[in-house]
Amino acid sequence: MKPAPFDYCRPATVAEALEALGSSESSRVLAGGQSLIPAMNFRLTDVSVLVDINRVDGLASVDCDLGGVTVGAAATQTRVLEHEGAAGVVGGLRAALRHVGHLQIRNRGTVCGSLAHADPAAELPALAVASGAVIAVSGPDGERRIDAADFFIGPFWTALEDGELITEVHFPAQPPGSVTIVDEISRRAGDFAVAGLVATVQADGGAVRSARLVGFGLGGVPTRLETAEAAIEGWAADHPADTLAEAVMADTADAFDDIHATSWYRREAVAALTVRAARQALADAEAA
Amino acid sequence: MTISEPISEVDVEVTVNGQPQRHRVPARLLLSDYIRDTVGLTGTHLGCEHGYCGACTVIVDGDAVRSCLMLAAQVDGAEVRTVEDLAPAGADSLSPMQQAFHDNHALQCGFCTAGFLMTLESVDPTEWNEPERVVELLSGNLCRCTGYQNIVTAVTEAWSAYDGSGGSDDG
Ligand SMILES: Cc1cc2nc3c(=O)[nH]c(=O)nc-3n(C[C@H](O)[C@H](O)[C@H](O)COP(=O)(O)OP(=O)(O)OC[C@H]3O[C@@H](n4cnc5c(N)ncnc54)[C@H](O)[C@@H]3O)c2cc1C
Ligand code: FES
Ligand code: FES
Repeated sequence: MKPAPFDYCRPATVAEALEALGSSESSRVLAGGQSLIPAMNFRLTDVSVLVDINRVDGLASVDCDLGGVTVGAAATQTRVLEHEGAAGVVGGLRAALRHVGHLQIRNRGTVCGSLAHADPAAELPALAVASGAVIAVSGPDGERRIDAADFFIGPFWTALEDGELITEVHFPAQPPGSVTIVDEISRRAGDFAVAGLVATVQADGGAVRSARLVGFGLGGVPTRLETAEAAIEGWAADHPADTLAEAVMADTADAFDDIHATSWYRREAVAALTVRAARQALADAEAA
Repeated sequence: MTISEPISEVDVEVTVNGQPQRHRVPARLLLSDYIRDTVGLTGTHLGCEHGYCGACTVIVDGDAVRSCLMLAAQVDGAEVRTVEDLAPAGADSLSPMQQAFHDNHALQCGFCTAGFLMTLESVDPTEWNEPERVVELLSGNLCRCTGYQNIVTAVTEAWSAYDGSGGSDDG
C-alpha cells in the first residue's frame, strides 16, 4: 500500500527540525525510513508532518576516539559498519550491525532510528543498554542526555517526549581486555531475532572475570540478565554449562510467547547463547 | 536543497539512468511509484511495499536501496539507477550478470530478477565473491521460483574473474 497524504520538510538545522516537529501533533522524524515508511505504507502510523532529518547539517557524522564512538542521527548503519575505528571502540556496534536487516536496509537505516523505534527484538537497543550508551536529545525545552538504561520503557516506547529529536548517541569504549559478542536465533539471516543476546565479557587466565549480559526478543525492553552476570564471574570452560543456563532461566521467567516461539524456547535459546558467548570469550582471550 | 516549511508537493530534480528528470510530486509519492509511473520505467517491480521482498531494489548514489521505503522527494539531487541501465542502450547484448542469469536459468517468472541484478550491480565483487558472502548478499532478495541455487551459480560464473579476498585479478 501507499502512505496517506502528509506534508514534508527537509530542514537544514536542528532548530528548524524542532520547529517543524512542533508544528503538528502527529509530526514524525524521518531518518532511514526503514521502519517508519513500512508502517506508513500499511497505514499503521498516522503522520501529518514528516520531518526528514537526512540533510540537517552535522547529523551524519561518526566520531571515534579512545573514549568511544558518537553516532549522529543521520549516520546510516552501513556507515558505522564500515567505519575503520578500533575494535575496542566500534567492535560492539560492528557485531550488532551484522545482524541488522540486509545490505539494502542498512544502507538507509540509522543507528539512532533503531533506538527511537525501540523494537523489542532489535539488536541496537540491547547493545546500548549493555554498553552504557548515552542518548543526546534536543527538544522544545532544550537539550538533555538520557542513559540507555532509562531510555527504553516498553515495546516501541521510549523516554522521548513529543517534539523531541535524538541528535546523537554515544557508545563508550569497551573495558580493556573485553570483547562484545552479539548472537541470536532468527529464522533467516537478516530477519528480526526470535531471541538474542549481547554479551560484553572480560576474560583472562582461562576464566571469565565479569560480564554485562543483555537479552533481546524476550520482553518489551532489553533484558538485563543479572543473576547470570553474577553466575558467570569466575566461570571457566570446564565448569558445568548448567549453572550459567539456570541463571539465565531465572532471569527470563517473564519472556513472552508468540507465533514464532514459546516463552520456554526463547529462554532456552538465550541460555544456550550465553554459554556459547562465555566459551567464545574464553577462546578469544586465550588467542589474544 | 533543504525545505524548512512543511509542504504537500515537492520539486524533485534527479538523474535517472543518466537522464535528468524534473517533476513536482506529491510528498507521499514513493520512489518506487515515481520510477514506474512518473518516469515510466517499469522494470522495477513491487512485491510487498514494506521492505521485505527486495524486488524494488534500485541504486541511489551508488547504494542498493528499497525504492518502496524511500520517498521520491528524498532523491532530489541524487543519481538513481534502475535495471534498464544495465544493458547498453540500443545494444542487443545483455550485461555480463544478466547473461549469466540467462545462461544458468537463474529466473523463472522473472518478477524478482531486477532486484537481484541491482543488488549485485551495487557491490564491489572483489569484496563479496566468496560463497558465504554471496549467499549473505542475496539474503535481502526473495525469489519464489528458482530455489536460489541457479542464482548463486550465475553470480559465481559472472564473477569468476574476481577473487573475493579483497583484491581482483582483472579489476
Ligand atoms: C526487511 C527489514 C529487516 C529488518 N531487520 C532488522 C533487524 O534484523 N534488526 C533490527 O534492529 N532492525 C531491523 N530492521 C529495521 C531497521 O534497522 C530500521 O532501520 C530501524 O529500526 C529504524 O531506523 P531508521 O533510521 O530506518 O528509522 P525510521 O524508520 O526513519 O524511524 C523509525 C522511528 O523512529 C523515529 N525516529 C527516527 N530517528 C529519530 C530521531 N533521530 N529522533 C527521534 N525519533 C526518531 C521515527 O519518527 C519513527 O517513529 C529491518 C527493517 C526491514 C525493512
Ligand atoms: S516492494 Fe520493496 S521490498 Fe518488496
Ligand atoms: S524468478 Fe519468480 S520470483 Fe524469482
